[in-house]
Amino acid sequence: MVEVSATPEWAQLSMSPKEYARERFRFRRRALVPVVGFIGPFLALWSLFLAVPMGWAVWLSLNEGGLVSDAEFVGFANWTTFLKNDELQTAIKNTSTYVVVAIVVVFSLALMLASLLNNNKRGQNFFKVALYFPLLVPPIMAGMIFFFLTHYDMGVINLLLQTAGQERVNFLGANPNALLTIVGLEVWRGLGFWVLFYLAGLQSVPADLMDAGKIDGARTVRRFVRISLPTLRPLLLFAVVIALIFNFQLFDSVQALTKGGPTLGTTSIVWFIYKQLFAFQESGVAYATSLALLLMVVALTVLAYGFLGRRDDGTK
Amino acid sequence: MTVISDQDGRDLAALKRQSVSLRSLKSSVSYLVLTLFTIISVGPAIYIVSPAFRESKSLFSYPPQWLPNELYLGNFEFLLTETNYVRWAINTLIFATSVTLIALVIDTLAGYAFARMQFPLKRTLFGLVLATLMVPTAAVLAPTYLLVRLLDDWTFGIVGIDTFPGLILPMTVSPLGVFMMRQFIETLPPGLYEAARIDGAGEWRIFTRIVLPLLKPAIVVLGIFVFMMQWANLLWPLVATTRDETRVLTVGISTLQGQFVTNWGVIAAATLMTLIPITIVFLFFQKWFVQASVAGALKQ
Repeated sequence: MVEVSATPEWAQLSMSPKEYARERFRFRRRALVPVVGFIGPFLALWSLFLAVPMGWAVWLSLNEGGLVSDAEFVGFANWTTFLKNDELQTAIKNTSTYVVVAIVVVFSLALMLASLLNNNKRGQNFFKVALYFPLLVPPIMAGMIFFFLTHYDMGVINLLLQTAGQERVNFLGANPNALLTIVGLEVWRGLGFWVLFYLAGLQSVPADLMDAGKIDGARTVRRFVRISLPTLRPLLLFAVVIALIFNFQLFDSVQALTKGGPTLGTTSIVWFIYKQLFAFQESGVAYATSLALLLMVVALTVLAYGFLGRRDDGTK
Repeated sequence: MTVISDQDGRDLAALKRQSVSLRSLKSSVSYLVLTLFTIISVGPAIYIVSPAFRESKSLFSYPPQWLPNELYLGNFEFLLTETNYVRWAINTLIFATSVTLIALVIDTLAGYAFARMQFPLKRTLFGLVLATLMVPTAAVLAPTYLLVRLLDDWTFGIVGIDTFPGLILPMTVSPLGVFMMRQFIETLPPGLYEAARIDGAGEWRIFTRIVLPLLKPAIVVLGIFVFMMQWANLLWPLVATTRDETRVLTVGISTLQGQFVTNWGVIAAATLMTLIPITIVFLFFQKWFVQASVAGALKQ
């Protein structure tokens, strides 16, 4: 380097490697000022209220207590008792049943309604608005509304059954009815979202593909199965994972309708965490469960965006 | 009359009539199904009007009474005088609006930085933020609660349990918002600000004068999305508030359910009163709401 700028004049004009390094550092630091201004506020809040709690969750999973008393380090004791906990096992079983049934029901209904809407353009907007409406209702209030449908004594469905001279159904006080009622609530609330989601997807299916199908004489159902579905495949896989993430957080409707009962019949994972933490102060298992949920969600998130292709990971 | 027939001698006009009637049959079945689901979607919420205007004991009468005999207003009176309903509603508005405004500011700024600025570790940082995209409150409930309780001492009670900052700040962090904003800003033609940059405009000037006006639709969509998430939020407010005066609507209404006896008329009235304003807002801005719901998942 030094040999290149051998002549004295040139040496005066140019910087020594040391000076150059210092100037380069100053320049980069100056260029960072606006970056910090733009990204700082988000990053500060993100670190404090998301990154720190996530790290803390890892540490807590090795601890017991901490909510009312001081935390006590117990090593991997939480993890060894974690899967032996009967209530947690029930919670995992309930949540899995709920997730599978809810996703299968809501996705089949949503795909059907979306393709109906896509084929019948008249009044499309009205139906979109009507189907979207339940999404406005916070889950806890949807729960209250569902009481008026499914309550044993005053629920509309039972009143109608009674009027028709039929046996009443115990929706909330028996298993597995209670869990299925919760599935019903979540399907009611979520259906509109998934209809709109799939409608947007269906409308993005290239029209020339559809026309080609028509010319080849494929009927509506066949066109749906052979053209729409394969085109929607990445979107569908993405949707399944997103729905998994959302539905594994089942809590609000349990709090509204059943409080985990009858006899643990609707105890979900998040309900279990909440109850262990704030009702029973049994924090150890709850910490371990939270961390397991956290890890699962992060893994599923990475998977979901994997399905959409790798164009969104900042590489481009 | 001449009958046009194909090679097999079938009457083409009749075939066409048949296919038209088949198509109209198919579309009427479609509309029947759609109408059925419309009733299922809207019906339960409309039914709430009836118990809201009836005394709770009449809800259990047999034979069932479907409509109120008279307009009984006792439930609303009870709600407004015997409970903190008004306070809860104000708290919900403060909570959801603050979260929305703060989230919009920090998400738009960070989205711009991730889309347009160069800085070291950009990809690593974005990857990290992306990995936390869907982290649910439930999974970090205990540490967040402990953190806010700890901050109570450190910030002399400004951020803490039962305070608005303690309720609001943890909910403002949504990597999804940054992600949406970044994607939106990347779709803007770069020529727009290359010109401004050559004219000597700094990043802040480019952001406020050129990018921000173009971001209006994205801001409305993200704003609705965040507001809807937060006004329905139950879990965090349930944990972060302990006094009746600091509760929000979702928590407050769930406390109306009694341990042994529940005044169902009051619950119906509370649900109705809460749903009417949001429904009116929704009917005015339905196009934006629909976009907001799909945008969250689709606008990658």
